Amino acid sequence: MSECILVVDDDREIVKAISILLEGEGYEVLKAYDGLQALDILASHQVRLVLIDVMMPRLDGLSALLRIREKQNIPVIILSAKSEDTDKILGLSMGADDYVAKPYNPQELAARVKSQLRRYTCLGDIHAVSRMDELRNGRLLYRTDEKILYADGEPIKLTAKETGIIDLLMRNPGRVFPAEEIYRRVWEEDAFASENTVMVHIRRIREKLELNPKEPEYLKVVWGIGYKMEKH
Amino acid sequence: MDTKWKNIKKALGFIIFFLGVSLTIWNGVQLSKRLPGRPASWTPGKLFSEDYQHSQRFRNHISNRLEIFLTIAAGGAPSGWIYDNGWRFYSGDTFYDDRYYDSSTDSITEDYGQSWPGSFHEQEAISEYGTFSLPRDVEWDDDEWGYDETYRPLTDEQKEKLVQQYFSAIAGDKNLLYSISCDGKLLYTNSDLPTTEGQMQLPEGYNFLLYFDGEKVHITKDGTELDIYGDGYYRDEDNDWYVPGYHNFPVSDDMKNTAVCIAAAKEPVLYTRGISRDSGYRQEENTLYWLQYNLRASRTLLLRNLAGLAAGLLLLFLSFFCRKQKKEAARGIARLQGKVWIEVKILLLFLLLYGVLQESAVTFFNSYGYDVWQEIAWMYSDYAYISPELIAHYGGAFLSSLSPLFWSILFWLLWLLVNDLRHNKKIWRHGLTAKLCHTFSAREINQPLARKMAHRTAILSGAVTAYGILFIAAASLLSHANLSRDVAVGTILLCILAVFCFLPAVVLIGSKNMKAARDVDALSKRIDEICGGDYGNVYAHGSGSSGSGGTSPGKAECPGGSSDAVYRPSPDDAGNNAVRQNGKTGQADSTALYGNHDLGKTMARLEDIRQGLALAVDEQMKSERMKVELIANVSHDIKTPLTSIISYVQFLKEEESLPEHVKDYVKILDEKSQRLKNMVQDVFAVSKAASGELPMHMEELDFGKLLLQTMADMDEQIKNSSISFRTELPEEPVMITADGQRMYRVFQNLFQNALKYSLDGSRVYVTLKTDGTMAIASVKNTSHLELEKDKDFTERFVRGDKSRTDGGSGLGLSIAQSFTEACGGQFTIEFDADLFIVRVAFPQC
Repeated sequence: MSECILVVDDDREIVKAISILLEGEGYEVLKAYDGLQALDILASHQVRLVLIDVMMPRLDGLSALLRIREKQNIPVIILSAKSEDTDKILGLSMGADDYVAKPYNPQELAARVKSQLRRYTCLGDIHAVSRMDELRNGRLLYRTDEKILYADGEPIKLTAKETGIIDLLMRNPGRVFPAEEIYRRVWEEDAFASENTVMVHIRRIREKLELNPKEPEYLKVVWGIGYKMEKH
Repeated sequence: MDTKWKNIKKALGFIIFFLGVSLTIWNGVQLSKRLPGRPASWTPGKLFSEDYQHSQRFRNHISNRLEIFLTIAAGGAPSGWIYDNGWRFYSGDTFYDDRYYDSSTDSITEDYGQSWPGSFHEQEAISEYGTFSLPRDVEWDDDEWGYDETYRPLTDEQKEKLVQQYFSAIAGDKNLLYSISCDGKLLYTNSDLPTTEGQMQLPEGYNFLLYFDGEKVHITKDGTELDIYGDGYYRDEDNDWYVPGYHNFPVSDDMKNTAVCIAAAKEPVLYTRGISRDSGYRQEENTLYWLQYNLRASRTLLLRNLAGLAAGLLLLFLSFFCRKQKKEAARGIARLQGKVWIEVKILLLFLLLYGVLQESAVTFFNSYGYDVWQEIAWMYSDYAYISPELIAHYGGAFLSSLSPLFWSILFWLLWLLVNDLRHNKKIWRHGLTAKLCHTFSAREINQPLARKMAHRTAILSGAVTAYGILFIAAASLLSHANLSRDVAVGTILLCILAVFCFLPAVVLIGSKNMKAARDVDALSKRIDEICGGDYGNVYAHGSGSSGSGGTSPGKAECPGGSSDAVYRPSPDDAGNNAVRQNGKTGQADSTALYGNHDLGKTMARLEDIRQGLALAVDEQMKSERMKVELIANVSHDIKTPLTSIISYVQFLKEEESLPEHVKDYVKILDEKSQRLKNMVQDVFAVSKAASGELPMHMEELDFGKLLLQTMADMDEQIKNSSISFRTELPEEPVMITADGQRMYRVFQNLFQNALKYSLDGSRVYVTLKTDGTMAIASVKNTSHLELEKDKDFTERFVRGDKSRTDGGSGLGLSIAQSFTEACGGQFTIEFDADLFIVRVAFPQC
């Protein structure tokens, strides 16, 4: 059975485009063109995920989100033309699970939807189980004994050095490591021209685990200082 | 321990220098005084001879004696004239010729036959002279000799008495034996000295014999006869004996029959005569003894001075080798000097100079005594006397009379002065006066202008009062002079009147100025407010304070109240006036208040300016806000259709059944839609940054690392281009405060620009330099297009190429600039021919 996704936007072409995209991925798509309509559909259908625009007639996206959260705990992704940090923070703090700015990258959107669904359906409640040898950070999971990184439950193939970097960063989420330190601890050599080498590896890891490698959410550069694993 | 030794070394170095200079000066000055005036006498044989008979003075003494003896033998008296001045007397060439006894100061000043100027009073042995006194029997009887100083020839009786007294005075001095005979008859002698010609038998202990045979003088010393006459002509007092017998100094007829024999002891001794008649003993004449004594003493002193000078020079030479330590010590001394107030320094300087000069002056006037004053009096009474020679003479005499102590102290004072000036900056700044001035001016600076004015007016009034008192005092002094009583009283009255007229004028003007000053105060306060960004409307708080301003006229004078009163704009006047008249008892309406203000007009103008400014700023703010809003709205409105475009282009791209040329179109659509997306984002960012609404996360970061990371991030792009990067970054971290994400964007833009616009195969130079306060990163590249001279590259939508066909929004440099400036840095662009240089500067943490 395919999962049902509700797409809400007052721009019909965008709704259509998204539904084409998601149906191509094998999902069933329900369409709504304003907040009230969306709430109606949610009340009558079993929906697994909501993609919702902010600026809409009758009932705007944020108000609709509040109403949804009164009853349901399904993942909600906000899709908005407002790309400011403040808008993102506002949306996320009101209960959204993700925030995608317009104009979005179709592949990225599909990836985000997939990621949210997997976390919601496959992994269940994040807070339920936590083994001693498991390090969890948002959609990432790192098993320290096996030295394997999972993103949305899928194991990611990493080289030895990449695994070393992930090992170091996952064990210390939020801490900023200068390139020299990463080099010294992973390569176990004196740091020399480490910046480029480390950066190349970081970029490769990003390609593998970030939804949009150009705007990383987990493996971040702290400009002028070093690198860190963002805490989620 | 090490520093202690260093300090000791410093002190040692300075002490060597100090002793060297002091010894050199002291002994040099002493020597310049001690050395005989005539260079002929400087021969070491004369200066250092043990034998007193070699001295010039001895020669003079002997030839003087001979002259007197010959005069007496010829029937004359010891002197042609007598100048009696109470106790002292001077009579030609008597035994007092070279001595001057001053009982009042107990010091002896000697005229050393011009060869030894200067006093010897520092020499203890000379105090022996103190016991010497004039023989009682030389005391002249006033009645007999008269007391006036006019010249009178002596009578025979007087002559005889004088001769007898003369011989009785010198006979006891056995150091100089003499016998005088005339025509073979012995006239006077104090010994059994043979007078016969050729028979020059000297008694034991005597080695000098002078024999005058009536024609020539023969001198035998230590058994050998001296050559007295030389070629027979008398020329030089220094080298020739002043005795008759030369061709140009012949023996007179009176002396033809006279024979004189004089013998001098080899080692003169002190002869003393006991006299029962008088109380105590009396020394004999003893000239030769003292002559020898003084010569030896001065010789010792001379040697001592020479030794001292040599030691001083040696020390100076040594101090040349430890000049480094000396320099450090001098710096240390300067540091000490720096702590002393300038007033204390000046006071000390004057005290020291005064003390030393006074001491020297005493010596000078003691030696020149009365003469100087007389000369000075003459100089003033008769201008004919003022001649450069005279001034030079007395000036020279005064300079040479200054003690070595004076010169040493003078030198060290000068040294201290130079040292102080060299090491301490602005020595006059560190003083009580300067401090007081500084305190006053510092306090004044913080005070409002009105207070300052009041202060100054008070000072002026004080000065005027002081002047008045001085005037009155001067006038009352005048009244004691030759002025008649009426005139004097009139003058005083006039002065008093002048002062009392002037004082009110000063007070009046002062109070007027005070008013103006208060206005200026209010004005400057208002200007400060406007500068501080307070364009607030005075209408608003004018009404609030009008009550307090109106309650009393006195209160309205205080700065705050008056500023409100002044700034009450005219439309408000009527109401304000009413409040005033209600609040206080009658006096002054506000129009009069305005009319009285010197600066009323200026204030009104300022008010206009303020209003205009407030309006302009408001407009500006409004338009800026509107601009950002507009851009935000527009970009949002553009984004929505763009989302559809991008989405459907994506679907088209995925469509495989399309013909090849359609796929090309789709590709172009894809590219352009992506570019449009970037542009929309950039426009939004740059407008926000320019309006200052961009949120910033400022943190301390390493500038060098930021550059490295940015380059590493763009590694792929760089490697795929034909352009290579050259970096020159400092080893150590260069910390600045900025928003890392924004600065990454800045350098990303700069590097992208460099990649895009550089000549193929050329190099981009990325350097980071720091001067301790500023960190400056520069990106230099060679443009492949000709750079237009007058183009402002940071202007929005300006690009290297006019056609705008390449990618990019044309906002790269604009974004870089606004982001840099938003982070608190400086962004400059410079180009020279095809070299394009961008500099990003940040203050270092």
